[in-house]
Amino acid sequence: MGDSLKRLLQRLIRRIPTQMLKLTLEKWGRLTKAQQQSMDFTQPKWVLTERLLGICEENEWTVKHITELEMIYVMDNPNQGMWNAFQLIDPEDDFQSVELMKFKEQFKYHLGELVKHVSVKMKKHTDEAVWIRIAWGDSFSRPNHLKPTYVVHQLQAPYVYVTSLTLKQKPLLSQALILATRYQALKDANLSGRNLTAIRDLLMRQYQQVFPTRYPSPLAEKNETVSNTHIEREQAMFAANRHRMSCEAFGDGTLPQLQSVVYKLETKFRDHTNKTMSEREEPFRCVVKFASTNILESLRHCASSGIVSTPVTPLLSSIPLKGKNYFVITDNGPGPSSQKRQPQS
Amino acid sequence: MSLLKPFSKLPTLNTASILLVESEEQFQQSLADALLEETAVTMNVRLAKSLPLPKENEESRPRIDLVVFIINLTSELSFQSAEASLKHLDSGYFLGKVCFLVINARNASVPIERLDAVRRLAASLHCPLLFAEDQTPDGVTNAAERLLTILKVAAGRVPMATALYLSNLTRCTVPPDIDQPSFD
Repeated sequence: MGDSLKRLLQRLIRRIPTQMLKLTLEKWGRLTKAQQQSMDFTQPKWVLTERLLGICEENEWTVKHITELEMIYVMDNPNQGMWNAFQLIDPEDDFQSVELMKFKEQFKYHLGELVKHVSVKMKKHTDEAVWIRIAWGDSFSRPNHLKPTYVVHQLQAPYVYVTSLTLKQKPLLSQALILATRYQALKDANLSGRNLTAIRDLLMRQYQQVFPTRYPSPLAEKNETVSNTHIEREQAMFAANRHRMSCEAFGDGTLPQLQSVVYKLETKFRDHTNKTMSEREEPFRCVVKFASTNILESLRHCASSGIVSTPVTPLLSSIPLKGKNYFVITDNGPGPSSQKRQPQS
Repeated sequence: MSLLKPFSKLPTLNTASILLVESEEQFQQSLADALLEETAVTMNVRLAKSLPLPKENEESRPRIDLVVFIINLTSELSFQSAEASLKHLDSGYFLGKVCFLVINARNASVPIERLDAVRRLAASLHCPLLFAEDQTPDGVTNAAERLLTILKVAAGRVPMATALYLSNLTRCTVPPDIDQPSFD
């Protein structure tokens, strides 16, 4: 058994929590009945790892088998890395969504053309999504299975979700995807987060939608808790108003879980007293990042509790509407009079 | 913009009214519920986010006997909001009818300067400064009891005692060495 295979298995077992190990191994189904029964899952992790390494030698597992186990684990627990969303744009004229087998074949073929040493593994998940695991190598080294890239693509939808992809590999992946799916380009959707389902829901609009209206919605009918007559809120009207405004911006249902929002401002520095700054050629850059375990919920709460002034600025409320969490804000026009800034893609 | 005045209205018989001002509107609800446990007098609790109070409620509002500013020490905004609200209070209130209630003071993330700032503020206005625990039900009841003690005096329920007299005993004083660097 190779040293690298041993390391790969060790690392993988270390990643899987003990209470999930049994279930994952069962799903994998590479252990014989006797081997399965010989494993005592109450033992510490390192004993289990030693045992598995022994079985690995016995059954002569190869890298292929181990990566299969890894895929099973990652597909069951997708919320571990940072997922970036990409959008496929400009379908070809006679476009039809590709069939799975063909996509598989095409993708493997095209990626193999681009990179010599690459190991691709695909699996179809229950929810119509194809999971692709890519271990990259370059022309001189063998595929590195310790740092694989995961790609999730639903064949019917023009979105691709990618985790742990380096800049060097991005053009390769994008080209292989374009050729395999018969789109013409792959665009960064400016959306990232740890929760894969949340990102997908946001892009596919699978959550409660709000539409900006000028009229108060029938939210007011909501039952207020009947409180004691001796307690009176002096500013109840303002509070109700704030609540309504925040619901208008973010809706009153559950919101997809995002971890951060980044605003990048690129503008001209305007200050008459500070000549050195305002006469600079390059734009004035500034990055604002909001982070939370659930940023959209937090923003809604900020608005309804009055920390953020209402009506909520379109910059904040456009996060769920546009399905992005990375915004670049630039000046609208060249003139100094145009102070208004608008989010642009 | 209207000032809230302590003596602009007639008192009602056997009634005590308290106004809880908190910018976060979290603790005031549970505190109000705890205050209403008191049965000896008719309690009126008014909750506000900040002062000034809206004009529309002017008619229905009883005479406020005690104004309590709840300050969450973990948030700078809470302190600033209370500071801004103080301007909308008539000076008559500062003769023993205002008190500060600090919550979350034990939180490790609180900068020590903020507590000093609150102390200075309370001392400069000659107001009592109370500390409360807002996480446990016991803490809330405790805080309510302490407020009731002050409120009863302020509302004139206690014979031979006035708010001004009580505030002489309970008001916050700044320790003289607050500006000295500590040597621990």
